[in-house]
Amino acid sequence: MHKELKDQMHPILEEMEESLPEGEIPAAIFNDPEIFELEQERVFATSWVYLAHESEIPNPGDYVLRYVVDNPFIVVRDEERRVRALLNVCRHRGMQVCRSEMGNASHFRCPYHGWTYRNDGTLTGVPSQKAAYGDRLDKSRLGLEQIRVEEYNGMIFGTMDPEAPPLEEWLGDIRWYLDLITRRSPEGLEVVGAPQRWVVDVNWKLASENFVGDSYHTLMTHRSMVELGVAPRDARYAMYGEQIHIPGKGHGSMVIGAPPGAKLPPFWGYPEEMLERARTSYPTKEQFDVARETRIMLVTVFPNLSIHNPIRSPHHKYQGAVPMLTFRVWNPIGPGRIEIFSWFLVEKDAPEEFKKLSSWSYLRSFGISGTFEQDDAEIWSLITKGAGTYMGRKHRLNYQMGTHQEPDPDWPGPGVAYPINFTDVNLRSFYSRWLEMMRS
Amino acid sequence: MADENGILPEITDFLYREAELLDDGRYREWMDLLTEDVRYQVPIRVTKERILEGGVSGVVENMFHLDEDRDSLEMRVDRVETGFAWAEDPPSRLRHFITNIRVKEVRETSAGKESEVRSNLLLFRSRWDDPRHTVLSAERRDVLRQVNRDWKLAKRVVILDSATMPTMNISFFF
Repeated sequence: MHKELKDQMHPILEEMEESLPEGEIPAAIFNDPEIFELEQERVFATSWVYLAHESEIPNPGDYVLRYVVDNPFIVVRDEERRVRALLNVCRHRGMQVCRSEMGNASHFRCPYHGWTYRNDGTLTGVPSQKAAYGDRLDKSRLGLEQIRVEEYNGMIFGTMDPEAPPLEEWLGDIRWYLDLITRRSPEGLEVVGAPQRWVVDVNWKLASENFVGDSYHTLMTHRSMVELGVAPRDARYAMYGEQIHIPGKGHGSMVIGAPPGAKLPPFWGYPEEMLERARTSYPTKEQFDVARETRIMLVTVFPNLSIHNPIRSPHHKYQGAVPMLTFRVWNPIGPGRIEIFSWFLVEKDAPEEFKKLSSWSYLRSFGISGTFEQDDAEIWSLITKGAGTYMGRKHRLNYQMGTHQEPDPDWPGPGVAYPINFTDVNLRSFYSRWLEMMRS
Repeated sequence: MADENGILPEITDFLYREAELLDDGRYREWMDLLTEDVRYQVPIRVTKERILEGGVSGVVENMFHLDEDRDSLEMRVDRVETGFAWAEDPPSRLRHFITNIRVKEVRETSAGKESEVRSNLLLFRSRWDDPRHTVLSAERRDVLRQVNRDWKLAKRVVILDSATMPTMNISFFF
């Protein structure tokens, strides 16, 4: 990109400055190479981005490979049990020092010339160091580059920005909602197996915005599952519940209970013994009380971590409810392209039989083959395609739903809550945060 | 590969017939080829170190792209028939290329005669008016069972040749 363009505000952003207060967004932000270049620098290089769950690397030496845009990191637990995110680039000539997606290693050895790093990133071995370099090589300055890593309730985030605020400050009040999911059990959550990974021609923001507050699409996009009775026919299901955003942060959540008159088990339908453990596991009574009434919950942590935790069942004939939990990262790999990482998680101390059933509830509704998620990919792809065209990029997309509504003064949780999910308030909050970062 | 029992021709015929039904989107007829207790799994594949003594590396044991039984497969078929399954309506153009068919073992079980069969799969997918296409490659490890003299699919494990999947969704069968 030309330097002049970087110093002044991008015209698409200028247009969005004017249109967002009116609830309109220029479609061009969803498929534009210059916007994507700016996003890499201004959003992804400065945000806290989700990397992994602690249960993926429980023991010293355990590691997984993860990406922030195209930056490759080895997320590893070192011998002191500290979690690190090491840039997977040798300090000698830049080769990747680790090429397995997951495993356990005390050291990472570059296959090019053999420079070897301990799993805390320290350069420990340089072949024939004395003969090759004499005493001129200061190994202490040549460890693998590392980014800041912090954890919240077992969720590991990293940031490439040395000036970024602490993770807890970045998360702010969305922590209360993350607690509802991550602190149901004193034992915490575990990732089962490995994430599904797949690539879709979609702009990352379309996925994030969908999970931050687009309940409105449920009845049409997921109509097939409505027809099968897996998603309820009643429009109130999608409309009902609270939509909460954290002002200034871009994060948001939907917390949905049972609509009036509907008979659904409490606490997402989790087994009763888990409800009892939650009573003491949650930090506050308010959180327990809200959790007991919750049946469906979604969260997006700005910019690109989304969480879905609905009551569900393993198939359309199943009698009963088996909730599921998935974390997903929408990692942007192009202006109109993402790689999705989709994890299944369950409470460590959940009954074994329940864990299996819950994984089926997940696999059959979400993830790459999910009967819900299949249709999301179809739709977001074609929105992205249109946003990249000469005519399509001039469109302003509509985010005006719910501007007439008032917040719910009685909601017990933090943030700004609206007592209805047919609203774009969380999406507008998400994009005002995005715009603020993009113009800085 | 020895075909001691001489069943390779009928097994081949079964797999080709199945591929035809899948290519033609005749899923209700395809369900008739499955046993009542069918298991259908596509484990996640990850990049891992070579197993030095040889063997297939990186097949994740406890997480899948698909982990199905008869009821969940039927849900997927019913879904397509609602007319609102946007991911496959309009349908993708699919072509299953089945090669390297191997009968590994034939055994008598309480449920009937079973045969372990492996085949290679190349699956072509084209969508919309987009000239680009997706090709997936895999090995299928099947258990076929003879029920009233007809072969049926009792189990299929699909060993994918991709770690990160190059397809926008899995809205079809392997």
